[in-house]
Amino acid sequence: MSILRSAAVVLLCAGVGQYLLAMATPRLIMEALHRTVGERYGHNTLNVAHTPDASSRDVVRPSPDLIYGVCAYDLTDGPVAISADVPRRYWSMQFYQMNTNNFAGFTNKRGGETGAGETFKVTLVGPAHRATDHSGTVVRSPTDRGVMLLRASAIGDSDITRTAVQRSTCEAVGKQDQGVKS
Amino acid sequence: MLVVRYLFLTVAILVLSATLLGHSLRSQMEAMSVQNGNWQTTVNAGSADAGTMLRAAVALGGLLASTREDSVYYIVETVNGEPLRLDCDYVLRGGDYDADWWSVTAYAWDNYLIPNDYKRYSYNNENLIRDADGRWEIQVSVNKQPGNWLPTGPAASANWHKFSAKDFDLLLRLYAPGQEYLDKPASASLPQIHKVGCS
Repeated sequence: MSILRSAAVVLLCAGVGQYLLAMATPRLIMEALHRTVGERYGHNTLNVAHTPDASSRDVVRPSPDLIYGVCAYDLTDGPVAISADVPRRYWSMQFYQMNTNNFAGFTNKRGGETGAGETFKVTLVGPAHRATDHSGTVVRSPTDRGVMLLRASAIGDSDITRTAVQRSTCEAVGKQDQGVKS
Repeated sequence: MLVVRYLFLTVAILVLSATLLGHSLRSQMEAMSVQNGNWQTTVNAGSADAGTMLRAAVALGGLLASTREDSVYYIVETVNGEPLRLDCDYVLRGGDYDADWWSVTAYAWDNYLIPNDYKRYSYNNENLIRDADGRWEIQVSVNKQPGNWLPTGPAASANWHKFSAKDFDLLLRLYAPGQEYLDKPASASLPQIHKVGCS
């Protein structure tokens, strides 16, 4: 009887447990990515990766035809300002919250929000901030932390595109203001 | 004695949960994927309406995927139901597709790019060698081939980690895709893959 009861408890808990594991998995993986990027390059800063090859292990399925710029943001102390030079080739700016949801995105193709040669500026605010305090394009992140990913096509003359991505910035608003004053 | 029993029960629950999750992920992915010939695509990877299981599967196999309006991904893991193998050669034939740009990339079973001396991991719509009509073919093989050639392996990861029947797969990315791929993913125009032979 005791064995039967134990087996029933195991089965019941495992049935519920698989959903708890499924809910935890994206968050655990995003936490690991956020921590890795943060430890290596710092939070609220843009890092432009080298062209992916067989040694790339940070993210699964990297594309060798794309230039990636990543910013692990943390809005606990206030908004983050993102400024991006938009190249002629395909370009996109995508925002991911900590459960992997792609909650906002912009592109320069197919009637996208911006065009080649422009500097696209976004103020990224946390769930508790008042979006009305900021002008221009304001994106509200559902979580204080998350990841912003720039993707740009590496096809053709990739040096021009890479330069545009490397000129882009992702900085805490206060830090950016200090930079202007100094 | 009681502690040992609870410990055993906890371990049993965890192991069974993980096993059930693996099974659920596979069946959920199958239920949410659309077949187009040998290619498969998932209709809401990365979007807010992705369910718990799909989100977990994407986190494991395609973290930071974009929404379909930005990019559509098709994967081929089997040809006529048989998993892609290193001891078989394949050929991919195609033309042009309605997207701002597109590419075909080979990934090992471990989801990473495949090591090779030529650093050849993918082809895109601009660097393929084509015939006079714009048609192209890619030889998909472990061994170097003339023309367009995608090396297939072996993977960098140790083989005892291997958790899938396939040795590698091909991923087609269509960026800023045309409406056909958003509205009719099961019948939209795609390259065709054929098995050439096995050793």
